[in-house]
Amino acid sequence: MSEATMDGFAAASAPAVPRAVVYNEVIVKKFVIAAMFWAVVAFLVGTVLALQLAWPAFNLGFSFTNFGRLRPVHTSAAIFAFGGSALFATSFYVVQRTCRARLFGGEALHNFIFWGYQLFIVMAALSYVMGFSRGQEYSEPEWHLTIFLVIVWVAYAIVFIGTVLMREEEHIYVANWFYMAFILTVAVLVLVNNVAVPISIYSAKGYTVYSGVQNALIQWWYGHNAVGFFLTAAFLGMMYYFVPKQAGRPIYSYRLSVVHFWSLVFMYIWAGPHHLHYTALPDWAQTLGMVFSIILWMPSWGGMINGLMTLSGAWDKLRTDPALRFSVTAVGFYGMSTFEGPVMSIRSVNALSHYTDWTIGHVHSGALGWVAFICFGAIYYLVPILWKRSGLYSIKLVSWHFWIATLGIVLYITSMWVAGIMQGLMWRAYDQFGFLQYSFSESVNAVHPYYVIRALGGVAFVSGALIMVYNLIMTVCSSTTERRDSAVAGG
Amino acid sequence: MEEVSSIVVGILVLILGFTGLVLASGALDNEMYIFGLSLAGFAVIFEIGLIKAHFDRSDAARRGGAGSHV
Repeated sequence: MSEATMDGFAAASAPAVPRAVVYNEVIVKKFVIAAMFWAVVAFLVGTVLALQLAWPAFNLGFSFTNFGRLRPVHTSAAIFAFGGSALFATSFYVVQRTCRARLFGGEALHNFIFWGYQLFIVMAALSYVMGFSRGQEYSEPEWHLTIFLVIVWVAYAIVFIGTVLMREEEHIYVANWFYMAFILTVAVLVLVNNVAVPISIYSAKGYTVYSGVQNALIQWWYGHNAVGFFLTAAFLGMMYYFVPKQAGRPIYSYRLSVVHFWSLVFMYIWAGPHHLHYTALPDWAQTLGMVFSIILWMPSWGGMINGLMTLSGAWDKLRTDPALRFSVTAVGFYGMSTFEGPVMSIRSVNALSHYTDWTIGHVHSGALGWVAFICFGAIYYLVPILWKRSGLYSIKLVSWHFWIATLGIVLYITSMWVAGIMQGLMWRAYDQFGFLQYSFSESVNAVHPYYVIRALGGVAFVSGALIMVYNLIMTVCSSTTERRDSAVAGG
Repeated sequence: MEEVSSIVVGILVLILGFTGLVLASGALDNEMYIFGLSLAGFAVIFEIGLIKAHFDRSDAARRGGAGSHV
């Protein structure tokens, strides 16, 4: 027997010792810091916008501070900057641990993704305040910014999918399926919806290749799936890793999580036309969107139940761990907003709700209650692990953050429900002669008190985020959170 | 892997930087001018970062330890 064969035999007969993997945590840390920075920016700009709607003097009279230009700054900062950075951070963290492999592609590629994505966000925000926009919701960046984003996104896909392919675990954990669906679908959505012809290669202005109702349909196929795959599927990936970790329990039903994944990704992609009820879009297409939206109740609630039931036997932790409270409340809001969405997609309900502030309230119950809360829970869990600290600086401050933010959301969504239903009813009211009973300006006056309450909700939410930033900075810097043992941080 | 990654990403960023300069040079509006210059500036800073990372790795290898930046 040759020496090499003997070595091979010895290796085969020796007990298998898992090879130590050095994870790239620096890139995760960078995205966590970026997520918290953009969270504060997004919430601050949102609060300014709420104040502008209540008191127009807050527009300040400058072109670059008016509502029309700041609104896409707020939505892009909240969804793509804050939510996106949190997703980059958690997906890179989760894929390394669940695949037991270092991120694929080398540090240079990881850093390109981080800095390239931050450059895209800054350039997009700058273009909005300068007045450059495609004028399509959640898809405002002009053609040159879209091309740059696609380059960064392809790099992200290479790193994530490459890591999955190089994994040392046989099984692909369900969270990675959700993250991969998010990465691939967002790439397809952006590529199709943003096809545009620039007026010159040297001009930022371009025009979409689609026109009329085709443009509307493709825009809302994109728009609703940005909600479905960016704001839902990706954050479900976050839920499926961090809720079990925080609760110290396995997922309630792994089989249900797989059913949740396939049914969600199959059904979401058809739901977009419900944004176009009572338009030039053919009736059958509107009905198709409505039907698939209602069918979505099943996977959405299946996922919510799976997340909540993961706490079976660990509910007591909610009393002592406010970070877990964020994650579990997020799952509750996920259930609530995915119940409300299909209700609003029903044509006769949509006749009342469309173009009113009910929609704004619905979006924010999802964005603040689900997306922001699941991010807060994950970041509170991650920071002590990434920075090798013994724990968070102050659990009491986490609790303060939780209650202030929850109060903010409740003020926000209840005021928008009342304002929205009132608007809808006022706009459709007729007198005995068949004339409209109220002018549009009367409906604007009627909702003013609720706009003030919404602004108060925004102030509360941004105050909570500032408390979180202080708590996290102190967690990293304070001597009270230094580790006194040499144990490797969990995770 | 690190050296190959640095070279490939370095070439990609170099192309992006040159593209930024071309866009800025012929820009018809402020947005494209600012975007082009920002892309070029981004490329310069990123390339400097790659060069620094290369020499950090060389220093770490000379000292016989793994890079402290990971």
